Amino acid sequence: MRDFEYLPTKTIQEACSLISQYKEEGKVLAGGQSLITLLRQKLISPSCLIDIKGVSELDYITFDEKKGLRMGALTTHRAIEKSPLIQSKYPVLSDMEKSVASVQTRNWGTIGGNLCSADPIGDPAPSLIALNAKLKIVSSREEKTIPLEEFFTDYFTTLLEPDEILTEIQLPPPVAHTGVVYMKFSTIEAGIKIVSTSTSMILDSDKQTCKDARIVMSAVAPVPFSARKAGELLIGKKINDGLIAEAAQLASEETNPTSDVHASAEFRREIAKVLVRRAVKEAFEKAQRA
Amino acid sequence: MTDYSVVGKPLPRVDGIAKLTGQAKYTTDIVLPNMVYAKILRSPHPHAKIINIDISKAEKLPGVEAVITGKDTRGIRYGFVDTPTYPAEERPLAEDKVRFVGEAVAAVAAADPDIAEDALDLIEVEYDPLPGVFDPEEAMKDGAPQIHGEITRTTSCAWEDWGVARKSHSYTPVNNVAGRVLISYGDIEKGFAEADHVREDRFWSPATSHMAMEPHTIVTSYDPFTGKLDVWLNHMAYELKRYWLHKTLEIPIQKIRVYQTYIGGAFGGKAVIFDFEVLAGFLSRKLGRPVKLELTREEVFSSCRNSIRFDTTVKTGVKKDGTIVAQQVKVIVDAGAYKGSAAVAMFLSHQFSEPCYNRRNVRHEGVAVYTNKNFGFAKRGHGAPQNRFAVDSQIDMICEDLGLDPVEVVLKNLRKKGEVLPNGDKLESYGLPKCVQLVADAIDWKQKRGKQRDKNRGVGIGINGMFSGSGYWPFACAAIVRLNHDGTVTLMEGDCEFGQGADTTYSQIAAEELGLPLEDVNLISGDSELCPMNYSNFLSGGMFVGGGAVWYAAHDLRQRILKVGSELLKVKMEDLDMKNRSVFMKAKPEKSLTFGEILRYNVQKHLGDPLIGMGYKKAVPEIEFYPSLSKGTGRFTDAYGLAAATAEVEVDRETGRVKVLKICIADDCGYEINPASIYGQMVSQAVMGMGDALLEEVIDEGGRVINPNLVDYEIPRAFDVPEIVVLNGCDYEPKGPFGGKEAGECARAAVIPAIANAIYDAVGVRVHRVPITPEKLLNALRAKEGRG
Amino acid sequence: MEIAKKILKVKVNGRPYELLIKPKTTLLQLLRSDLGLTGSKQACMDNSCGACTVIVDQMAVKACSVLALQVNGREVATVEGLASRDGKLHPLQQAFLDHHAFQCGFCTPGKLMSAKAMLDENPHPNEEEIRRDMEGNLCRCTGYTQYIDAIKVVAQKKEGAK
Repeated sequence: MRDFEYLPTKTIQEACSLISQYKEEGKVLAGGQSLITLLRQKLISPSCLIDIKGVSELDYITFDEKKGLRMGALTTHRAIEKSPLIQSKYPVLSDMEKSVASVQTRNWGTIGGNLCSADPIGDPAPSLIALNAKLKIVSSREEKTIPLEEFFTDYFTTLLEPDEILTEIQLPPPVAHTGVVYMKFSTIEAGIKIVSTSTSMILDSDKQTCKDARIVMSAVAPVPFSARKAGELLIGKKINDGLIAEAAQLASEETNPTSDVHASAEFRREIAKVLVRRAVKEAFEKAQRA
Repeated sequence: MTDYSVVGKPLPRVDGIAKLTGQAKYTTDIVLPNMVYAKILRSPHPHAKIINIDISKAEKLPGVEAVITGKDTRGIRYGFVDTPTYPAEERPLAEDKVRFVGEAVAAVAAADPDIAEDALDLIEVEYDPLPGVFDPEEAMKDGAPQIHGEITRTTSCAWEDWGVARKSHSYTPVNNVAGRVLISYGDIEKGFAEADHVREDRFWSPATSHMAMEPHTIVTSYDPFTGKLDVWLNHMAYELKRYWLHKTLEIPIQKIRVYQTYIGGAFGGKAVIFDFEVLAGFLSRKLGRPVKLELTREEVFSSCRNSIRFDTTVKTGVKKDGTIVAQQVKVIVDAGAYKGSAAVAMFLSHQFSEPCYNRRNVRHEGVAVYTNKNFGFAKRGHGAPQNRFAVDSQIDMICEDLGLDPVEVVLKNLRKKGEVLPNGDKLESYGLPKCVQLVADAIDWKQKRGKQRDKNRGVGIGINGMFSGSGYWPFACAAIVRLNHDGTVTLMEGDCEFGQGADTTYSQIAAEELGLPLEDVNLISGDSELCPMNYSNFLSGGMFVGGGAVWYAAHDLRQRILKVGSELLKVKMEDLDMKNRSVFMKAKPEKSLTFGEILRYNVQKHLGDPLIGMGYKKAVPEIEFYPSLSKGTGRFTDAYGLAAATAEVEVDRETGRVKVLKICIADDCGYEINPASIYGQMVSQAVMGMGDALLEEVIDEGGRVINPNLVDYEIPRAFDVPEIVVLNGCDYEPKGPFGGKEAGECARAAVIPAIANAIYDAVGVRVHRVPITPEKLLNALRAKEGRG
Repeated sequence: MEIAKKILKVKVNGRPYELLIKPKTTLLQLLRSDLGLTGSKQACMDNSCGACTVIVDQMAVKACSVLALQVNGREVATVEGLASRDGKLHPLQQAFLDHHAFQCGFCTPGKLMSAKAMLDENPHPNEEEIRRDMEGNLCRCTGYTQYIDAIKVVAQKKEGAK
């Protein structure tokens, strides 16, 4: 690793002031589970790290029936995994977190750090997008809230300015008859994701007709994205296997995967179709039971 | 069966406390005063001339102690193969050209690893890229880029050093051929003519990584006053490493001391001498300071030896009842930029299959070809996994053609106990039929085979044989057992402990023979200065040869103690026994003497003789030197380990993903000196074989390894492990210590075809290339559906 | 440019330390080089293998991917602190020994610390939970089976003690 200045901070205000000082020369350090590896491999060499892991005011999970969920950006993956609140209100998140990397990574890595690293195969983003997550971003200049889906712009790139810090993840309150599923495909259990999807389905009170559906695809494009055509196909219709298969086909067509050592683009498209079909079906069944 | 006190028991490992408390020192943990750290600059080109190397900027970086290039090490040669016909061709640093991506081009020693890495960035190398060749069949064509010119001899041949006077000469490879093998017996054409059914099929096995948890590391410390070189390194037999350090650095062999270290796994990947090891020694001598060189995981994947790439075409002729009457095997090995052990692997892929089936008429032909890629060495089975995948898959196919059951056909074709193989090896112990039956029963073969297609489930079988040591310099293992004043003993044997359990097993053997509890054996192992000669473990001769030597040494001491006891107690030696540091009369146990008393008496009465036992063993007593690898004639080993494996899998037809439900292994290791240790070896091989069958491949593109890390090269983790059943198929080996022979290297090669065959049973498609990834299997399934 | 060293105050295996270190020092480097605690190992370079697992404030973390300065004011436990000073093995170490749960031993300290953290948080895990929680610890020698058995035995003993 190259040398760097180390500036720990305990308040978000101080963090904003420091990062606006250093801008491109500095990097914000939270859990470091992505950052430290990049430093060790000399892929980045910032001259200064601003350590915000000690900013306890950003470590929280709160819920309000009207406003929904508010999670501080420094909440660890493990905290999300184990949170009784999340397990009861947004179980897809705690299930998803069980499969993120390893316990060791989850203990120290944060949800904010994960989202800011913008790994195209990152686990949390698809489910959070399916749940209509918004992000609160602050700097010394301003504070703003944007939909998570707009946050990622390219491989490993977000629209965070160099002096901005992600502080909070917001989810709307859960709605009745909702089923949300996160499903991923890898060769072995905890292996690298080849394709993943998070699908959410909200049913009408008849528990047959789809009121809203989101099919979020990941690892099949530079950024996780909502397969709009596929989701819209389901809305307003009575859900059946044939319709689900059609939606899966559409979703697969909306992907733009690449070939790499793990799989070819063609295979990813095939798997996307199978995975979406299975995930939508499961989301439908979950919504019926909800 | 005799009731033993120490052997045959799953006693806790003697290296347990050290490893469990973090006290165990591995090479990476060694820190010496005044130590510097070395790093290597490696070629980014698969084939290029080196025009110029400018090290001036690197040398000036504060903290850099030395920068060396091929100019400094010109002429140094080493290799696993160094024979009169094939001179050693590897070198620590490239000289006039580079032949593969990752070949070492320069080395830096600096005050800390970060400075050393920064210095590498400052070395300017001017390359003139040459066309590369990456496919062995392309490489053999006229007009292909020639990777090696004349390979000249720079030192005496290893054979000459080892006492075999034979004229050696330089040579120039033609059409990039690195070596050939042609072994035949019987009459292959006649055999095929007599067959009722013949089929020919082709299979491919890629390079895979051993992925031992400890990355290769070395610490060398040269003392300029005494001219001695102290070494801590990863190895599988210190003799081989020390010999080549002596040869390459021209330091007298006895001035090189390999110290005992713990070794974090090997599986074959740490046996040979490496570029970085010669360089660490070279730099230490240049600087008169200790040097530590740790390879990164990426270097281990892309620049260390991986397993050997085989392209195998098998043609087998059988009678309609499945009896094999002829088998022709043609192997093309994609050797990489240097020979490595390519030719040896081709020979072994034949010889390891010899104890399996009686094939009657055999022709085994192989050609190893240079390509501009990293080159290979043994990985747990060394040619057998590649061969068994091909041969056992084909047997399965033949059975389908003829409507026969694979287990029955396997049993029908096995050798017989007591049979003498065409090369002269005798199968005095042969538990393979029992192993096959055990694994077939354990997987419920009759109930499941061909009956679970509706559930996309299937079962398959594979077998393998493995040598228990063979001839390699210095051709003997020896051991010393010293009686101590308190009646305990100290065992000195040179074998290294890299996880396989050698320390514990050898201690058990000595303890049993001397009637002692395990804790009464003090062990000194793996130190070239303190221990007598040893080479066996990298040739799977740990138990049989190394352990044999330990037994002989313990037995020698036992006899000496009994002789003195007999003199003192005035009783015949055969009327005495020993237990718990005492010698006693069998008929009247109270008539006894302690070891301590016997020792004291002996020193006083017999001119100071303190009672030291010595033992030694050759892998094959009858032979003086090597078998002919290229012709496969001559004795090879004195005992074969054997194994059979079955597997049950479930396939997800829509994604091609394979889930292994169960693996059964039955192993004939002669006698399980430590059953828990054997169990561990079998489970290990089940999981490793699963990795080979479904997951693992070192992938290269234009000669560059594109997955040199653990994210992109996946190995099984805790949740991937299926139910594993391990069964004892032992058949007592009379020439082995307590009947023991090879254990840790056989089963892996049986597991791979077991899984491949199970996949076929489940979904009716066969993939001829491992790893059988979801994508490959899905493509095969779709292709089959396409054909209707 | 000379980067200022920083003071780190940390307790390791119950012992307080105050050290002056370069900010780029990882926790693993601190343990191995500065404190001579070489039990925790490095086996990969990309946060994948778990051989460097230690416990920070009761949480299992990979020391190679945590900056030493981030554990300022915290407590770190390594394999060297598991056994008692009078030579009594921790139940996990004893179970590993009894069940042959290791071979080369290189990944073993990391496994022990992961297992300890898991059992301290969840004293009665079932087999699936054990396998999932041990996902972060790669092993090439054992095939995982024997050390899963060892952890199960300790988990059951804890249950029995209740």
